[in-house]
Amino acid sequence: MSWCGCYPAASPVAVTLRKLVHVAVGSGSYRKGPALYAQQTAFLHQIQPSGTLEDEQTCQASTADHEPGAMNAEDRVYHERFMREAINMAELALVSDETPVGCVFVKDGEIIGRGMNETNRTLNGTRHAEFVAIAGILSKHPVSIFKETDLYVTVEPCVMCASMLRQYGIRAVYFGCWNERFGGTGGVLNIHSDPSVDKPYPVTGGIFREEAILLLRKFYVQENEKAPEPKQKRTRELKTEIMPMDLHAPKQCA
Amino acid sequence: MVSLRGGDEALHSAFAQLDLDPRNGRLVALKTKEEVRAALETFEAHVVELPARYAGVLKDVIQTALPDLKTADFQHLRRVAQWKFLPPRLQKQFKSPRGDDESFCEDDNAELEDTVRYFLVCPTTAISKATLQDILRRNPPFMDRDRDPRIFHVEVPALAPTSPEQAAQWSLKYWPISYKNTNPYGPHPSLVARNTAEIEAHAGKWLSLADSVAQLLHALSLGERVGCVIVDNNGERQEIIAVAGDCRWRSSSGAAEPHQGPGNVMAHAVERAIAMAAKKRLRAAGKDPDLLDRKLFCDWPLTDLEKQFYEQDNILPNGYLCVDLDIYITHEPCVMCSMAILHSRFKRCVFAQRMPMTGGLTADAVATKVDKGIGWTSSLGQGIFWRPSELNWKLLAWEWIEEDAKDSTNDCMNTTGNSDTLHA
Repeated sequence: MSWCGCYPAASPVAVTLRKLVHVAVGSGSYRKGPALYAQQTAFLHQIQPSGTLEDEQTCQASTADHEPGAMNAEDRVYHERFMREAINMAELALVSDETPVGCVFVKDGEIIGRGMNETNRTLNGTRHAEFVAIAGILSKHPVSIFKETDLYVTVEPCVMCASMLRQYGIRAVYFGCWNERFGGTGGVLNIHSDPSVDKPYPVTGGIFREEAILLLRKFYVQENEKAPEPKQKRTRELKTEIMPMDLHAPKQCA
Repeated sequence: MVSLRGGDEALHSAFAQLDLDPRNGRLVALKTKEEVRAALETFEAHVVELPARYAGVLKDVIQTALPDLKTADFQHLRRVAQWKFLPPRLQKQFKSPRGDDESFCEDDNAELEDTVRYFLVCPTTAISKATLQDILRRNPPFMDRDRDPRIFHVEVPALAPTSPEQAAQWSLKYWPISYKNTNPYGPHPSLVARNTAEIEAHAGKWLSLADSVAQLLHALSLGERVGCVIVDNNGERQEIIAVAGDCRWRSSSGAAEPHQGPGNVMAHAVERAIAMAAKKRLRAAGKDPDLLDRKLFCDWPLTDLEKQFYEQDNILPNGYLCVDLDIYITHEPCVMCSMAILHSRFKRCVFAQRMPMTGGLTADAVATKVDKGIGWTSSLGQGIFWRPSELNWKLLAWEWIEEDAKDSTNDCMNTTGNSDTLHA
């Protein structure tokens, strides 16, 4: 399968983002340069209401645009600023005995919503950070705002959230580490790019990946009273060594 | 309103008071993604014609020639087949050129059919026809004959059948198949049969209740006509835990919004019902269910029907998420809701109307009525209910087939007036 690196023209970082390293989705090949970020781009097809598959003509980026290994310093600062805010939300979750996943939604360089996982306190397995943030955003903004909004989340969105984001029409998703159990944007399934009646969206993973993983590990050595038949957590140790990224590559691409 | 506790009788009377007619239909277990793959994948195999008594010899010859051949990969295919058990198509293909063939038997056809066997050697990718022919010619019974051994190429199913019906069907179409009462690609047939029997009698009631809550919110212009019911149905126990309709068009102020765009996706019926069940759990644990409440989740009752069940304290204490609960939905849930059901660890799921363009549960294509005759409608193929190698939970899932439908094909055309592209 071919891939493309198109971004909505409205993106403030549209041009320079093309310099990110790309990962072909579902092609079986996994190309990765020495860059900090790996990216997975949107699937080329969209099911039209008529049921036919049509190429998205707007996706025409060529590999010639890329400078492997180089992410414009300005863009890196831009994305890391918001991922830092998402990490802050994940840290808040950790001290609240919640799975440490945090996110922020950004429009025109401004944070319009924040969220953290709340599944333990609500006893509701669907209260993921993305839901919590969107509940806040929609109390002030119309749904159409997502067309111009990007998500920064410390862990790759799960299958459920990946579908929700696509239905809402999110512009782009940036995440920290891959979600190898439930990932919906490359980690396990490719809900962001699979054939669907909804517009696909581009995703970029690996921003502050190590920090996101460490937060999760800190949580798993804590007690989780809500889970049934907890395993012996007291004997668990916090591992601090993180394997290089290619060993944690998404299942679909490895 | 009467409590729905106390077994079937009380339940029936309570249901009667709701003034709902149970839907009349039956349950058809969904095919898993792996089952669908198993049903479609085939490979081409070499088949050699030989006298029955040499079958054992050939087996040894092949084993020696191809020591790495994994016969376990195709043990669902009969290795040695009699002519009379071959599919008609192969009988015709194998027999026709033998009119002047005297290679094995000079007797009449009936006897020939008795003594000749067809030996499935291996996939054609394992060895070329020329090489196989060479090997055969160096071994009995072919070494002393003038004529080349007859080698056919036959298309066979790559993976084991998942039901006796499928085995019978494949035996007629491809090659004699053996069925062992197992299902490596989905839930074991006996597990499905037991659970179907457990829930089938009442499924029509829960779906009827889901229909009616969907209708209520739709009539208020707050949602699409999609509804859902969560039931605790274990042994004698039958409790309705939550009833919820879709309210994606309800604005943050509570008014009906113009029906444009996706609406509030988080207010799909399934998400609301799961949230209401969670709030009942909080209440049962003596905690404030309105803690961390956010109105955009719409996770409190919006109609009297929803309220009636929300207020009952009938959820078992100390439970975890929706473990051991069942969910009934008027439509196949979208990918988001399908995964929400999986995250919540439901035991069983039943939906009525397939949503081929947006549904997340089905993995297969389905026959549908189109203007002239029967067409095939694809599905997204996600099968998000039983993908154990990828997702961390398995549930049993069924499609409801309405019995009063005039013909046996599943009518996928809109029976509820909802659009094909709707996310249920």
